[in-house]
Amino acid sequence: MTEHPSFMYTPNEYEAEKASNSYLMSVIAVMIGLPLPVINLIATVIFFLANKRATHFVRWHCMQALLSQGFTFPINVAGVYWTLSILFGANIISNSYIAYIITIIVFNIAEFIATVYAAVQTRKGNHVEWWLFGPLTHLMIKS
Amino acid sequence: MKKVFTHALFLSVSFFGMWYLLGLIDFRSIFEIEELTKENEQKLGTLILDAVAKSNKIITQDSIIAVVEGMKKRICVTNGISDSTITVHIATVNDVNAFALPGRHLVIYSGLIEYCKSSEELAGVIAHEIAHMEHDHVMKKMVKEVGLAMVISLSGGESGGEIVRQTVKLLSSTAFDREQESEADASGVHYLAKADIDPQASADFLFRLSHEKESISNQFELLNTHPNSADRAAEIIKLRKIETFTSRPISDSTSWKKFQESVRLRVGEKDLF
Repeated sequence: MTEHPSFMYTPNEYEAEKASNSYLMSVIAVMIGLPLPVINLIATVIFFLANKRATHFVRWHCMQALLSQGFTFPINVAGVYWTLSILFGANIISNSYIAYIITIIVFNIAEFIATVYAAVQTRKGNHVEWWLFGPLTHLMIKS
Repeated sequence: MKKVFTHALFLSVSFFGMWYLLGLIDFRSIFEIEELTKENEQKLGTLILDAVAKSNKIITQDSIIAVVEGMKKRICVTNGISDSTITVHIATVNDVNAFALPGRHLVIYSGLIEYCKSSEELAGVIAHEIAHMEHDHVMKKMVKEVGLAMVISLSGGESGGEIVRQTVKLLSSTAFDREQESEADASGVHYLAKADIDPQASADFLFRLSHEKESISNQFELLNTHPNSADRAAEIIKLRKIETFTSRPISDSTSWKKFQESVRLRVGEKDLF
């Protein structure tokens, strides 16, 4: 799920902290207990924009965190919308709905674990590339 | 770029594959959702029925109930529907209306009995409401109108009397959607035919309703809840043609008038209170 290729330079202490914070931003909604998945995305977007002029290492990890949120955001929004349509609309609790909720829970847990792991590793100054989001980040963040 | 595309494809397949495979599991049985729904429906039905009984007098006279029960039984038995699960209540209300409540309660207003020209016409309305029950339209309508959260709150007895009253109003005076009405009409005609009751009486009843709408519409709650009566009557006539049945009358004209008179007497008694 994650790889540890060497980065083009060794980041300093300040960069490691900033990069680690970008991942912490993406779990902010879980930390403050908000069920709205959009909060994670907004947090990572704000953090990315705030660090647009930061060093390559920081920008790279901000983008990776942002992309991972970009993946979970639509599936979580669909889950919330579906749940609300059951609670306040005409939809019923179907096998398909339960299967969807379990699926997004599994994907969210995997994403949460990977995020915490990446936050810990980047804080140590290690470069972590996620499966899919790592190569995608390379395409978007040029050195 | 190729690597990104391959990873994205794999991730998508994993996500949708997992969703599809999990969807094959019958979670509704595992979590006993059906049983919980039925239990809630029963509680909800009793609660709403209590509210109906509080604001209207319910006729309990055996000889009157027996006539309607007889129609219900004939329709149910011939169609393989468990008649003991459906409870009929006659409320002394002048409106021309009948409606199904959660928990398979069927409420018939005395105004409807007064309005029907024959027992077959009343049987048509009963068959239509039974069809709503059989297709689970009642709970679907409730969930659609008030939302699952409110339905759960109601069945848990956490809602106030006003909300229950509003729910009674909702169930008795708002329409099912067009699709559900058509489905109930089609099944109703089928039930009547199987019970050897001529569905023509249902069509006559609806035609009469549509013609009298303009004169005294307020009293005709059925018109508000079941729009386009003339169209529905025409559709019933079409459906009647494809059914095979040998018409057997439920009762003769004299018996029906006698029954109406006994109901009228009960309604009159209400005014003495």
